[in-house]
Amino acid sequence: MTASPPESASAPQRAAGGAPRLRVVIAEDAALFREGLARLLADRGHQVVAAVGDADALLAAVARHRPDVAVADIRMPPTHTDEGLRAAIEMRHDHPGTGVLVLSQYIETRYAARLLAGNAAGVGYLLKDRVADVAEFADALARVAAGGTALDPEVVSQLVRASRQVQGIATLTPREREVLALMAEGRSNAGIAAALVVSAGVVEKHVASIFGKLGLPPSEADNRRVLAVLRYLGS
Amino acid sequence: MGTAGPVNPATGRELPGGRPGGRAGSLAGRLVRAPLTARTRRELLFCLTEAALGLVVLAVPFGLLALLVVVQRLMRGTTPPNLVPSAPVSDHPAGALVYLGILLVVLLLAVFLAPRLGRGLGAVHRYLAARLLGEPVGEPAPARRGRGGPGRLAAMLRDGPGWRAVAYPLVKLPVLVVEIYAVFFAAAGLVNLTYPFWWRLFRNHPPGVRLQPVPVLTPFGSFDIATFAGTFAAFAAGAAMVLAAPWVARAAAAADVWLMRGLLGPGRLAQRVADLEQSRALAVEDSAALLRRLERDLHDGAQIRLATLAMNLGMAREKLPADADPDVRELVDAAHQGAKDALADLRNLARGIHPPALDNGLADALATLAAGSAVPVELTTALPRRPAPAIETIAYFCAAELLANAAKHSHANRVTVELTEREAELTLRVSDDGAGGADPARGSGLSGLAQRVRTVDGRVEIVSPPGGPTQVTVTLPMHA
Repeated sequence: MTASPPESASAPQRAAGGAPRLRVVIAEDAALFREGLARLLADRGHQVVAAVGDADALLAAVARHRPDVAVADIRMPPTHTDEGLRAAIEMRHDHPGTGVLVLSQYIETRYAARLLAGNAAGVGYLLKDRVADVAEFADALARVAAGGTALDPEVVSQLVRASRQVQGIATLTPREREVLALMAEGRSNAGIAAALVVSAGVVEKHVASIFGKLGLPPSEADNRRVLAVLRYLGS
Repeated sequence: MGTAGPVNPATGRELPGGRPGGRAGSLAGRLVRAPLTARTRRELLFCLTEAALGLVVLAVPFGLLALLVVVQRLMRGTTPPNLVPSAPVSDHPAGALVYLGILLVVLLLAVFLAPRLGRGLGAVHRYLAARLLGEPVGEPAPARRGRGGPGRLAAMLRDGPGWRAVAYPLVKLPVLVVEIYAVFFAAAGLVNLTYPFWWRLFRNHPPGVRLQPVPVLTPFGSFDIATFAGTFAAFAAGAAMVLAAPWVARAAAAADVWLMRGLLGPGRLAQRVADLEQSRALAVEDSAALLRRLERDLHDGAQIRLATLAMNLGMAREKLPADADPDVRELVDAAHQGAKDALADLRNLARGIHPPALDNGLADALATLAAGSAVPVELTTALPRRPAPAIETIAYFCAAELLANAAKHSHANRVTVELTEREAELTLRVSDDGAGGADPARGSGLSGLAQRVRTVDGRVEIVSPPGGPTQVTVTLPMHA
């Protein structure tokens, strides 16, 4: 982040809204959406270091530029099935420091499970629709770049439904499930409080209760807590 | 071939029509050229092999009879005459019994094995027709295997195509004669043509010596020649035979192929069934591929455009100044929301056309389906091989329908979905602990499901007593 190329030296080091300026690689085979995404990120003060159209180019660009975060479409040439996902998993293994935000027009439970694979740090899986809510998308991207998590509400609800047989989830109250879902999306207590229009103290009480019912020791760090929840959901 | 006559693109040989117009000159040309064409060579070779094969096959029953006679002789010879001195050996009851036994065993063996042998020989005949004449004759339906010892024997006896194949060498006897004739026309004709050329080499005898006349073979008997002038008669006969040989061979080959189609082929009904099965499989696969392409087109086209539109509207919304006209803000908000709603609708539509996770196999697609179900689902999949795409699509939509039914009608608390492959069949079993009483006749989605499964000869078995539990088993072939 500190070593910015000379041609963008005049650009602000802090993006709009005070978020840190990110170096981003985009991989998306549809040129229209790729250009739109690049423009959106540039608008918010981030630097798009490469915008490519397939998975191989994505891996090459990430190895070369070492970006803060890579945004990848799942379906890309040549087979248009899960190239982006496989590249994302490879990237998580080879470049743990680079966040990976996977975009797709569909949410598939198996894809989410493969992507998370017991580790929810620096990873995101969102529907392409979410890009339309520009501010929320930018938040999610910043979270992933910082080693956090950004899961689509649909991913969370699927994983929660898939894990309903797990003991403990059934004992949660509807409100606690809402909080758990928001937590799994990657939101902080303050974010959850804002989303549910309650005070942060109320959220903290819910979180403690959830951990109690699920038998997890409470923890201060957001990441560890999401990680724990996802591990639990994925079991 | 070298002629400019029309050529059949499939077999690479001249069409019988020859040149259009059919003038007298070209007819004569065809007659003269016919013995030299590759087609004639192949047809003559076909007649030669068929003739040899036919004679050998006909000789087998006589060979068996001869063998029986030899056995009888041997037994007569080996039985010690002093054992039963009062009776002739052939009248000895034990010897006759043994002989009858052997006769019976041989006959039974012949009867049981004949259809198998007939099928094997039929394959040889079909190969010759396809290889030498370019006339492919379809394979008959494979022989059915019975269950257990007696069932297997009965199945061997009831092998219709096998018995038809046994009938073929007997029915073709007249054709066999013509085939032998065709070979004779060509071979003897060629020999006759050579008479004038070597006559003088061997006939340099001193004057006054009487020579044995030389026989000349023709299809209508033989005649003798004793002079050089006579060799020209032999030459003429030979030329006529060589010129006629192609047409005799052609007629014999055509008749043989006609017989093969009737007796060694699949039979008209079986052929029709096979053709229909094939065209149906093509139609099913084609429609699956079409739906897949449609989904991909949506994904790469309309969905991308809508997502980009929603994204641009989102950016426009952000860029609106704080003091913007509230009407404008409201319109942009509505457009933004509308684009997002349209995107969600389109996604559901596309998923109903062809679930994209199916591209990665049934296990992935069913996992997503199970996760989206309103009732908790326990999913087990054990598929070592991937079925055809059309079958995957049918299995997926069956599972979707059954899960929806379990959630809607049965008030089940949990559903188990099992997917297994056994003996080239895919089995999808969906069981729930709900109220039961599912009845396809009552117009639920079950009848539509059964129809969908029937398009590929699959089966649906529903066990759903009132009070539950319900178990639906869908069995599909691995390929349409």
